[in-house]
Amino acid sequence: MVSGGALMFSPEDNVATIMEDVKPGAEVLVRLGKEVSKIKTLESIPFGFKIAVSDIAKGANVVKYGESIGIASRDIKQGELVHIHNLEGARGRGDLAKGGSK
Amino acid sequence: MKFLGYERSDGSVGIRNYVLVIPGGFLASKICDLVEDTKTILTADTGSGRTSRDRETIARTLIGLGRNPNVASVIVHSLSAGSAYPELMSTRIANEIASSGKRVELIDVSKEASTLGAIEKGIQLAREMVLEASRLRRQPFDLSHLAVGVKCGFSDTTSGIAGNPVIGNLFDRIVKADGTAFFGENTEIIGAEHVLAKRGTNSEVTRRILEVAAETEEIAKSTGEDIRTINPVPSNIAGGISTLEEKSLGAIHKSGSAPIQGVLKYGERPKGKGLYFVDNWMSMGSIFAGYAASGAQLVIFQLGGGGLTGNDLLYTSTAVVAPLMWTTANPRTLAMAPTSIDFYSGTVIEGEDTIEEAGEKLLQTVLDIASGTLTKVETIKYVNPTQIYLKDPCF
Repeated sequence: MVSGGALMFSPEDNVATIMEDVKPGAEVLVRLGKEVSKIKTLESIPFGFKIAVSDIAKGANVVKYGESIGIASRDIKQGELVHIHNLEGARGRGDLAKGGSK
Repeated sequence: MKFLGYERSDGSVGIRNYVLVIPGGFLASKICDLVEDTKTILTADTGSGRTSRDRETIARTLIGLGRNPNVASVIVHSLSAGSAYPELMSTRIANEIASSGKRVELIDVSKEASTLGAIEKGIQLAREMVLEASRLRRQPFDLSHLAVGVKCGFSDTTSGIAGNPVIGNLFDRIVKADGTAFFGENTEIIGAEHVLAKRGTNSEVTRRILEVAAETEEIAKSTGEDIRTINPVPSNIAGGISTLEEKSLGAIHKSGSAPIQGVLKYGERPKGKGLYFVDNWMSMGSIFAGYAASGAQLVIFQLGGGGLTGNDLLYTSTAVVAPLMWTTANPRTLAMAPTSIDFYSGTVIEGEDTIEEAGEKLLQTVLDIASGTLTKVETIKYVNPTQIYLKDPCF
């Protein structure tokens, strides 16, 4: 692995993990094994956070490690930060289980 | 690949050489304050007002700690709030530890003149027992005699990318050499249980892994809260983890790739060797004592640290008799807590090491510690209290 850029873990992933802080408009090298692609960031993303590598529609699975890590709670554009503001967990949702408020 | 350890009468091998005084409490702490190389458990979980299932868990933990290979001999006393329950009778605990062949001395407080009299007797006994233990010499043993337990915590993105996979590589090496490895944290397999379940050695193991995740999720839902407001914990979210599923999928990397031999209860001893999942709770105040009771001689805290606020990590071992080592793959965490971290695996992210190479280096560090090199937090005498993992309400 190389420092900097962003990492994907599986070809099915639609997010990559940012390995150094990036500013809006920066070009990020996204690595998946030996394959490298480029994505333009739409906002600041700190080290360790996720960037969308493709557009993700509201309600679609957000995929990392080749597995679903939750559901997009709104439309997400390629290059946006993906975190708790636009990604919801699907598991352990006691708030929804009780006929909930959401 | 050998380490230097202390051979016990049941064939197990200690990496430390302690006299254990149980249960915890006033009498035990006074003995341990005065006598070198003694340990006791500091906990509020005495069993009083607890269900039989929870009392049995406490008993299993105490017996397991007594049977841990790092323990040369044990003093059991009867001065504890829970010791009148059948599960927690001092005679029962003493007998089950003694079945391993190690020396167990019982102090029946009712037969001594007073509590202070019992303390005096305990101090004299403990002095004699540590002297006896000190005559033992370390000898070389192979990895098949080693059992290690891991927890990952303050998890951030570096945990899933490098920290946990390097632990997983260590686990694969230990299991391949016929050793034993424990991982657990029942909440942190939710969202990843289908991946883990495929690694069960038979359909019963697979069923139990899925069952532990389902039970834990049902309890979580019954709270009426979104689990994300509980776990991932705030430091995880500050470190870049967005959902419990994401945390779980990163967390299971610490188990490596070996088949899973079984699902153990907290503090339960495995019937064989290899990799085991333990149904336990993630808190470091709880999980490590359970691993030590299951037989782990060494416990590892794999630290992310993205959400840390800058303090040095002087959290010491709650495994009572098993030393704690800290690892991290996060360079910022290493810079914050260099006096606590025993192994750095961020070299994988920096491109200096492959996971394989870092795993080999970690194994060397583990063998050094097993042979007697202290972990960094072992140099501190303060011990955090232990919370035994109890599942039922208290009454």
